[in-house]
Amino acid sequence: MILLQSHSRFLLQTLLNRVQNLEKAIELDFQWVEFDDVRYHILVSTKNPNVLLLSVSLPIPPPEAVFTGGLPSGAIEAIKAAYGVVVQILDPPRDGFNLTLKLNLSKLPPDEEHRHALLVKIASVREVVLGAPLRVVLKQLGSRIVAPGVGRLIALVHRPKESFFIVPQVEKVTVVFPMRFNDSIDTALATSFLQEFVQARRAAGLNNAPPCLWSSTPPLEIKDVPPEALSANAGFVSFVILPRHVEGKKLDRTVWNLSTFHAYVSYHVKCSEGFMHTRMRRRVESLIEALDRAKPGVEEGKKSPNSRSFKRLSFKDTRSNSNS
Amino acid sequence: MDPASRPAVVIDNGTGYTKMGFAGNVEPCFILPTVVAVNESFLNPSRSSSKANWLAQHSAGVMADLDFFVGDEALAKSRSSNTYNLTYPIEHGQVDNWDAMERYWQQCIFNYLRCDPEDHYFLLTESPLTAPESREYTGEIMFETFNVPGLYIAVNSVLALAAGYTTSKCEMTGVVVDVGDGATHIVPVADGYVIGSSIKSVPIAGKDVTLFVQQLMRERGENVPPEDSFEVARKVKEMHCYTCSDIVKEFNKHDKEPAKYIKQWRGIKPKTGAPYSCDIGYERFLGPEVFFTPEIYSNDSITPLPDVIDKCIQSAPIDTRRALYKNIVLSGGSTMFKDFGRRLQRDLKKIVDARVLASEARHGGEIKSHPVEVNVVSHPIQRFAVWFGGSVLASTPEFFAACHTKAEYEEYGASICRTNPVFKGMY
Repeated sequence: MILLQSHSRFLLQTLLNRVQNLEKAIELDFQWVEFDDVRYHILVSTKNPNVLLLSVSLPIPPPEAVFTGGLPSGAIEAIKAAYGVVVQILDPPRDGFNLTLKLNLSKLPPDEEHRHALLVKIASVREVVLGAPLRVVLKQLGSRIVAPGVGRLIALVHRPKESFFIVPQVEKVTVVFPMRFNDSIDTALATSFLQEFVQARRAAGLNNAPPCLWSSTPPLEIKDVPPEALSANAGFVSFVILPRHVEGKKLDRTVWNLSTFHAYVSYHVKCSEGFMHTRMRRRVESLIEALDRAKPGVEEGKKSPNSRSFKRLSFKDTRSNSNS
Repeated sequence: MDPASRPAVVIDNGTGYTKMGFAGNVEPCFILPTVVAVNESFLNPSRSSSKANWLAQHSAGVMADLDFFVGDEALAKSRSSNTYNLTYPIEHGQVDNWDAMERYWQQCIFNYLRCDPEDHYFLLTESPLTAPESREYTGEIMFETFNVPGLYIAVNSVLALAAGYTTSKCEMTGVVVDVGDGATHIVPVADGYVIGSSIKSVPIAGKDVTLFVQQLMRERGENVPPEDSFEVARKVKEMHCYTCSDIVKEFNKHDKEPAKYIKQWRGIKPKTGAPYSCDIGYERFLGPEVFFTPEIYSNDSITPLPDVIDKCIQSAPIDTRRALYKNIVLSGGSTMFKDFGRRLQRDLKKIVDARVLASEARHGGEIKSHPVEVNVVSHPIQRFAVWFGGSVLASTPEFFAACHTKAEYEEYGASICRTNPVFKGMY
């Protein structure tokens, strides 16, 4: 439950459902939104039940990130490489979306295992498209190719109008995330979470994990970036990715984890807030119990209104204490 | 980007199932059982562990708070291992366990819908009898933990009425017969406002039908493993039960042609893995019959559903009664039995006609009254009518204005969630 999966659960469910009932012609028209403002739209008409139109809209890129034709660089090649004949890219995409894919479900591999793997891959379209430039860089690192752009900073979009930065070098790739949060409590929690995160990296069991650093000021690697892209209120996290982190199957996971790092942190911040609430509720309940026990000879009827008004008061107190 | 430009998230938490999705769609994205599996093996360490071990206990508590599953995964986990205990956060339509509920929402938002709660307005539902305090709690969790930009807590029966909302007909007056898994409510609504004093409940709901089916199968000595019998009864109820027009005739039909009416159930024993099969007979129509003749199920004197609906309408203001009889809307999974609506309409019509005849006889036949139109509406989407209504309402532009916003919450506190205004899009 702690890591976000790379496939969209609903998209996978819909695709599997569709593939199992291919002979039944149903009309489907669904729109939904995922974290970081990635929108999906799925369309199946009764006329042509084998064809499924999947449109994806990506977060609005900030000025420093490079987008060609509404997509991150290398996305088209990545789609073609990942899906082969099943998917066709429609040009121009559906109005309001960055990319429209035409899936031909009758061309899916007949073998159950392959088909499922391909459907999961289609459901992870977001990883394929948004992670494409990162994948290219990490692949070069994995095969130790000295690409022409070595040492030059690249900005990649991961949230609407926000980007993170990668500095490719021959032996390593440095990834820097400026962390921004809207809410002041979130900012505080995220800051301490990230500091803990860096601490946890030093534990003995994690020697092979990518080295990571947190600092409240922009690290030296991104000194060339215009300052307006660097307004971060929860500091900067940088990871150093070494060739061993992108070997073979690890590449996909690394790409996904890096490109959704912000969502991961914000998920954890929410979880810990929920966790604190649970604890606070339990504490208040136990205190009320203790108070109720201490009351001498209170009749049953009077107990509940008293305890309730106390509960509300104390609940707010606890909260304002935690806010301050 | 403004959150109001993204579709709102609509979550309808029912006692049995939770329906969730994005506004503007016709179907919810996920329908999950409302259940949380919690690992409590950490929480009750053996007595021998001393106090010096508090750090270990603390981290065990933290682990226990993180180790949980929701929905179908929870059911699967509890079946495969016995370290997980099932918790049902909602009982009889009311949230019972807020910790479990908060975890459930967390999983719904992050793992199922995979959306950032800061980006979307939220529409949640509650039963018409929920206390205002529970709305405050909901608001607190939603605004404090999830930082939602806006929240609207709608009454589920009003949403069920809104589900019938089309461009040609905007009827916001009617009686909602909401038969869920844990609660049955009959809620009269006039112009989008619930007539609170006339809400009636019947202590029979979907779960009772399941229990009754289970009881019938057990008494007949069907070969069902005891640990699985509730689940089997639930599946039988969902797949094979239907409403009959007359019990005696139905018994005769079954006895004459058993081959046609008796179904087979095949399953696998969970412990040994051995396959088994059993017959499904009279419980197919006797199950739903508990709503119409409750005496076959319970010894308490429970009034049949049609009588309660009639009483409910009779207790509503007199000028709304005809409109209420005209629009009786079914909602909830337990109204999905075949011909449930027809049976209800017939029984209700009988009661109403008898009263009209009696009053005409009292006046000696001098005054003729207009015949009362009784109309039970069933949708094809009855199972998630509440969710659909929510989806329709949350996609109107007025919805965003009617929501309580985060700024308001911070200004006035959780008490603003007590009231949720009826807004223009509703009628």
